[in-house]
Amino acid sequence: MLNVNNIVKQYATHLALDNVSLNVEQGKIFGLLGPNGAGKTSLIRIITQITAPDSGEVIFNGQRLNSSHIARIGYLPEERGLYKKMEIGEQVLYLAKLKGMRTAEATKRVRYWFEKLEMGSWWNKKVEDLSKGMQQKVQFVATVLHEPELIILDEPFSGFDPVNADIIKNEILELNKKGATFIFSTHRMESVEELCDSIALIHHSKKILDGSVSEIKEQYRNNTYWVEYDGEYPAEQAAGIFEVLHKEVLQGKTRLKVQISTGKTANQLLSALLPVVNIHRLDEVIPTMNDIFIDQVKLKD
Amino acid sequence: MNKILLIIQREYLSRVRKKSFIVMTLLTPIIVAGFYGMIIYFSIQGATSTNNRIAVVNDNKTLTEKIASTKNTTYVYVHKSLTEMKASLKDEDYDYILYLPEFSLDTPSGIQLLGTKQAGFSMNSKVVDDVENTIRIQKLKESGIAQEDLDKLKATVNIDNKKINQAGKEEDSSAGATTVIGYASGILMFTFILIYGIQVMRGVIEEKTSRIIEVMISSVKPFQLMMGKIIGIALVGLTQFVLWILLTATISTVAVQAFTGDKALQQSTVSAVQSKTGASIGKQVADNGPVAYIQKSVANLDLTKILLVFIFFFIGGYLFYSALYAAIGSAVDSETETQQFVMPIMMPLTLSYALSLSVVVNDPYGPLAFWLSIIPFTSPIAMMVRLPYGVPDWQLALSMGLLIAGFIGTVWIASRIYRVGILMYGKKTSLKEMFKWFSYKN
Repeated sequence: MLNVNNIVKQYATHLALDNVSLNVEQGKIFGLLGPNGAGKTSLIRIITQITAPDSGEVIFNGQRLNSSHIARIGYLPEERGLYKKMEIGEQVLYLAKLKGMRTAEATKRVRYWFEKLEMGSWWNKKVEDLSKGMQQKVQFVATVLHEPELIILDEPFSGFDPVNADIIKNEILELNKKGATFIFSTHRMESVEELCDSIALIHHSKKILDGSVSEIKEQYRNNTYWVEYDGEYPAEQAAGIFEVLHKEVLQGKTRLKVQISTGKTANQLLSALLPVVNIHRLDEVIPTMNDIFIDQVKLKD
Repeated sequence: MNKILLIIQREYLSRVRKKSFIVMTLLTPIIVAGFYGMIIYFSIQGATSTNNRIAVVNDNKTLTEKIASTKNTTYVYVHKSLTEMKASLKDEDYDYILYLPEFSLDTPSGIQLLGTKQAGFSMNSKVVDDVENTIRIQKLKESGIAQEDLDKLKATVNIDNKKINQAGKEEDSSAGATTVIGYASGILMFTFILIYGIQVMRGVIEEKTSRIIEVMISSVKPFQLMMGKIIGIALVGLTQFVLWILLTATISTVAVQAFTGDKALQQSTVSAVQSKTGASIGKQVADNGPVAYIQKSVANLDLTKILLVFIFFFIGGYLFYSALYAAIGSAVDSETETQQFVMPIMMPLTLSYALSLSVVVNDPYGPLAFWLSIIPFTSPIAMMVRLPYGVPDWQLALSMGLLIAGFIGTVWIASRIYRVGILMYGKKTSLKEMFKWFSYKN
C-alpha cells in the first residue's frame, strides 16, 4: 500500500534520511523504530506531505504521493496540539472537515467516537480545561475520525495511563481488523511486539533492519538456552556440543546460559546431560525486540 | 478553496465569539464617546464657569483708557491703595489684584498680578493681552485712528484653485478636502493594520506554540492556512470597525439629543464657536470660512470613485501588511522574539504616512509621489493622498495590480517560511536565517 523508495532528505547541516526504502503492506501494522534523532519524524513528515524529499519517491496505492491522498491519511504527531480556546466537539469537527468530510457525516462520527471512548460530556469543554490524557484521547479521535486508509501514529501511548493505553490499543486493533493500515513510531518495544506485524529500524539516517517481527526474531535466535539442574557434570562432556555463556548457583541448583554449537541440537544437549544431572528446566532464549534494538544500535555505533 | 472558507470561518467565529471581542466592541464606543463628551463638556465648562474677578489698583495717570471686561474676566477699578487691597483681598469677592504703577506707554513695566493662588499660564497671558490691547487702543486714539477704521483695513483673501484638465477645461480643485481625506484615510489604515495585523501574527504564533500546526499542515497547504487566517481576521476587523462606527454614532446621537434640551448649553456652544471664529468679523466669514471652503472643495470631488478606491486600498493595504506580519509569525517561536522583525515592517508604513502628508501633498505629481503611490509598501496611504488631485487611470491600475500581486507574493513567501519554520522548534531566527528558509527547497 505504501512504498518508500530511496528517500534522501538533507537539512542545512545534516543528512536526515540517507537512501531509505520501506514497504508497508495493506492491512498491516508497521513499526517504525529507531533511537531519538534517527530520522523517523523526518520520514513521517515526508509521508504526510509536510515536507518533500530531496530525492526518491513515495508511492501510495500505486500512485505517486500527491495532495489528493491527504484525506486518506491520518496523522497523530508526537508533538500533540489542539487549539486551546476552542471547544472540543467543534474542534474535532473542524479538523474532520479540513480532511474533506461533510458536516452531517462528520457530526455523526464525532458523536459515535465520543460515545465509544466515554467522552460524551466533553463536547462543550475547552481543550485547556482537559487533562493531558484527555487531550490525547481527543487527538486520537481527530486522527482516525475520517476513516483514513493509512494511520500514522507517533508515540501513541505517551501520556496515557495503563487503562486508557489499553483502550487505545484495542481501538487500534479494531481499526486494523476493519482494514486500516498503521505506521507506528515508538520507542516502547513491548508495544511493538504486541501490535506490529513488521518493522523497520532506522539509525543515523539509515535503515539498518527491516522485515516481519517473527522473521526478525527467528533470525536473531542464536541457539541460546537456559538450563537449570542439580548435580555436577564433567566439563569434557560439553565439548563440541555447547558452550557455557553464563553460570550461577542458587540453593544447590545451577543455572547455565549455554549456546549450542552449530549443527548440534537441544536434544543432543539433553542427551549429554541426562545421564549425569537432574534437569529441572530447559528453555530457549528468544531475543526480545528490545534486545534486537539495543543490539543493532550498539553494533552500528 | 473550500478549505480556505473553512479556515476563514473558524478564524472569524473563534474571535468574534470571544468575550474580549464583545467587551471591546461594546466598550470602545462608550469610551470614545465619553472621551469626546468630556472634552466638549470641559471646554464648555471652561468657557462659562471660570469667571475671574480682578480688582484693578490703578496708580497710573497716563493710561486713561480702562481695561474692558471680557466674558470670563471682569476688571473692577477699585479706589484703594495696593496695601489696603492686599489686606482685604481675602474678605472681598476678588480672585486677583492687578496693580498698574505709573509707567510710560512705550515701556510699560512694574505691572503686578497678585492673588491668593498663583495665576495660571493662560490667566497670565490673558491679562497681558488685555493690558497690551488697552494700551494699543489708547495709542490709536491718540493718533486719531478709530478701531472701525482699522477693521476696514483688513481684507479676507480667498483663492479659487482651478485645474486645467486634458480637454482644456477648468476644473475646480479641492486642496482642502484632499488633505482631510489623506489624513483620515491614513490614520484609519494605520490603526487597522496595527491592530489586526498583529492579530494575524499572534494567530500564527499561537498555532506554533500550541503545536497544532503539524496536524494542520498534514491537512491543508500553508498557503491556504495563511490566506484563511488573514481574510478571517480582516472580516473580524471590519465587523469590529463597522460596529464601532455604528455604536459611536448611536451613542453620540442619543447624547446630543439628551443635551440639546439644555438650552443654555446649546447657546454657550454656539457662542464658543463664534468666539473662536471671531465674532467681530461677522457673517461674511461664514461664507468664506474654512468649513465652507472644505464643503465647496468636497463638492468638486468624485466621491464615489474616492470611496471605492479607498475601500480597495484599505483592504489591500491591510492584506499586504498582515501577510508580512504572518511571515514574521511563521519565523519566530514566541511573541518576545517578534520585536526585531516588527521594526522593519513598521518603518515603511510610518514613512509612507509621514511622506504622504508632507512631500506628496505639496507635490502630488512629482516623481517621489509617483513612486510612493506605486510601490505596495507605501501605495495604500500615498495613493489616497494623491487620488483627489487626479491620478491617471493607468497609474491607478498599476498600483492596484502591484498591491494584489504583492499580497499574494507575500502570503506565498510567508507560507514558505512557515513550512520550514515549523521544523525548527525552539531555534532562534535571524533575518539571515529567514532568507535561507525562503530559498530552501521543500
